[in-house]
Amino acid sequence: MKHPSEEHDLIRWIDGEMNEDERVTFEARLKQDPALATEVQKMSALSASLRAHMPAEMRVPHADYFNTQIEVRITQMALDEARAKQSASGWSAVLQLLSKPWFALAGATALAVVGFLLLNPEIGVASESMILSSYTPNTRVQARTYHDAGADATVLMLDGLDAVPADRKIAGINIQRTEMEPELASTTMFDGQGTAVLMISHDALGNPMISPR
Amino acid sequence: MPASASTDPGEVSDLDLVKRSQAGDTRAFDVLVTRYRGRIYAMTYHLIQNETEAWDLAQEAFIKAWRALPTFKHDAGFYTWLYRIAHNVSYDWLRKKRIQGDGEFDDERTEHRVAVGAEATPKGDLAPDTALRNAELGQRIQEAIAKLSPEHRQVIVLREVEGLAYEEIAALIPCSLGTVMSRLFYARKKLQEQLHDVYETSL
Repeated sequence: MKHPSEEHDLIRWIDGEMNEDERVTFEARLKQDPALATEVQKMSALSASLRAHMPAEMRVPHADYFNTQIEVRITQMALDEARAKQSASGWSAVLQLLSKPWFALAGATALAVVGFLLLNPEIGVASESMILSSYTPNTRVQARTYHDAGADATVLMLDGLDAVPADRKIAGINIQRTEMEPELASTTMFDGQGTAVLMISHDALGNPMISPR
Repeated sequence: MPASASTDPGEVSDLDLVKRSQAGDTRAFDVLVTRYRGRIYAMTYHLIQNETEAWDLAQEAFIKAWRALPTFKHDAGFYTWLYRIAHNVSYDWLRKKRIQGDGEFDDERTEHRVAVGAEATPKGDLAPDTALRNAELGQRIQEAIAKLSPEHRQVIVLREVEGLAYEEIAALIPCSLGTVMSRLFYARKKLQEQLHDVYETSL
């Protein structure tokens, strides 16, 4: 076993951590000590091989889903904070989803992960809801929302989708409430009769999934 | 410390994105996630040696960063700050795993879909047998690293992957400079032992 200072000198030379005087002295030692020179050569080769085979940047599997899940968790945290502040009776959630076929088309080109619509009783505006976040993996598609006072609804708009064929029949569904399942990171949407009409979640492989009920 | 990714002219700066994120703009934070997820994931993967766990821990690092954004003072680069968070998240995971008695990580190790070494090696310029040897060597290196203790694995990743100076490694862990050098020396010796057979022919 080497003395610790010898070990340190060896790796400091390999890693270029010596000053000029130390380097000259160590390299003089290398010329006189073939065994040490061989060890330095082997360790240098190993170091070079490690750098070549351990990239500092890698492709993230399911990269879009990686971002989406972060967005969902951030939104969930915001919701939890809002829940902590809200009164027990102050909740209502209203989401206007335009139509089933429309949403299916959207799902093919852009999945908009919309945060939560929550009434903020503290500001005392009973009809207003708030979009906490939205995200479109397809950068050509822009998501925006606004509150339609006449309809007393929050509207989600996705700009940039492919045109809907003229002969496609579009039927509207009025989503009255949503339920979140934090552990599954899923959202279920219900119509006025309390029927679940759509669930956004992920499958066993972690891929985003939209399930019409 | 690790430098931030170079930004293209016209690209929104980290500083601007961080300020917008601190104001609650999740879109701005999403841009930061996209910008740095590959580097953060690489670090967690090299430390953890498990694709699924590395994916989760990289995500956890970004969540922690979002939570801690109000305390970010702009006196360090965003990536340096984020990297420290990701490192701590990953290393805490390694330590807990060891405390739980799962000292050997090989059992749960999964094959990364991209052949190890392939991403660091120019594609298309190598003869098939050379590419295969590179992939095999990369695989052997990953297996050898997976057998290192968390402390040794940590210094190898910080030095060989991130290229941190000894003082930066000592500050990040934290430990003395002497400890950094000793760990680096013995980590490399152990890797040499693990890779002895390929060493004679490939290195």
